[in-house]
Amino acid sequence: MTVRRLLAAAALCAAVLWVTPAHAQQATPAAPTVPERDPDQNLDALQPDFTLSSLPTTLRLPRYRFDFRVTHRFGRPLNQGDFGDLLADFFALDSSAQIGLELRFGFMRGTQGGIYRTNDRTIEFFVEHNLLQQSDTSPIGLSALAAIDGTNNFKDSYSPVLGAIVSRKVTRLGALYVEPIWVNNSNQLPSEIVDDNDSFLLGLGGRFRLRRTVYVVVEAAPRVAGYDPDTTRWTVGLEKLVGGHLFQINVSNGVGTTISQLARGGSADDTFLGFNITRKFWR
Amino acid sequence: MLQSRSHFSLWVVLLVAFGSLACDEKLSDLAGPSPNLQPTFASVQHEIFEARDASGRAACTECHTDVGGRTPSGGLNLRHEVAYASLVGIASRNKAGAVRVIAGDADNSYIVHKLEGRPGIVGERMPRTGGPYLTEGQMTILKRWIATGANND
Repeated sequence: MTVRRLLAAAALCAAVLWVTPAHAQQATPAAPTVPERDPDQNLDALQPDFTLSSLPTTLRLPRYRFDFRVTHRFGRPLNQGDFGDLLADFFALDSSAQIGLELRFGFMRGTQGGIYRTNDRTIEFFVEHNLLQQSDTSPIGLSALAAIDGTNNFKDSYSPVLGAIVSRKVTRLGALYVEPIWVNNSNQLPSEIVDDNDSFLLGLGGRFRLRRTVYVVVEAAPRVAGYDPDTTRWTVGLEKLVGGHLFQINVSNGVGTTISQLARGGSADDTFLGFNITRKFWR
Repeated sequence: MLQSRSHFSLWVVLLVAFGSLACDEKLSDLAGPSPNLQPTFASVQHEIFEARDASGRAACTECHTDVGGRTPSGGLNLRHEVAYASLVGIASRNKAGAVRVIAGDADNSYIVHKLEGRPGIVGERMPRTGGPYLTEGQMTILKRWIATGANND
């Protein structure tokens, strides 16, 4: 009998010990854990995308989130033939295009990287780290950029890129960009037979807000030193922001869209129609 | 606010990776059938003037030589010892006003016109075997030697 009582007491103690924590939790319920929203997920109305047209911006990609971009640059020059010819080709949409697909991922807070492939078989890998965000204490945003592209599916002619992206958002107007960028091996001939094998370009651009979700984008990439064939590459575009999508139609003087392709310049005579579509997978 | 410190090592790794990349194109790929061709006179002499290359292109010295008492074709003697003095700054014997090699000016050097078969040349495109001719890459390297001063290097 004594043994039974001891066993019963032990069982009761065990039951009390087992139940007490749960009871205690019920008695003092913890505050509901609401996941903290990453501020990088908020829409930046003055800087709604990671690129202007081809030049990068300082927009941060939220950690562990994706962004996808598709680019088209139609190969038929808009100024070829008369307007009837252009209409017959439906404003160059009938022509072949240089198409690019990009997947971008935020793999750390403030750090994003990705891969971009164009159908001339150029593959570009890039990483961008945001060093400074514009705030009350900082008049500018600043990011560092590193990239490398290679032709023939990244088997030939590699062109590394290092640069800085400086942005300045202007209240209600939009954002301005200055981007000093160095491109190695911009000249695709062996260094033994060329004078310059590097280009130093100064990306200049802006995104200007016309309406709440409509923007005008301009960018140019003048080469200030080194290899500088043809003429300065430029693009002008019109954008519409719709939820997680950004649609851009643009006109430029070249079809290349990687940084090293910008360093190789644009046409002095021809202009080309193109478009970009980006999708952010968190809105 | 600066946020870079925690990722500094990432950027160091990236920069080291960039520095270790061999980014430049190979000259041998451009040179094609004469993979050892360089933009120097010694190399041009050895790889183009004196050698039949892998494409089967005839050596220039098969005709342009005085070896064995022969008369160099067109008065251009590309024998090793006299080739440079026969080319750079020397007027063409067949085309009035043309200079065989103008140091620093490949585009107006008559040897380039003859090898590319440009309009206005006197006689045939070289080699006059009817091909194979020098490839675009070989011509690029030859022109680079001229453009950089056509030195006797």
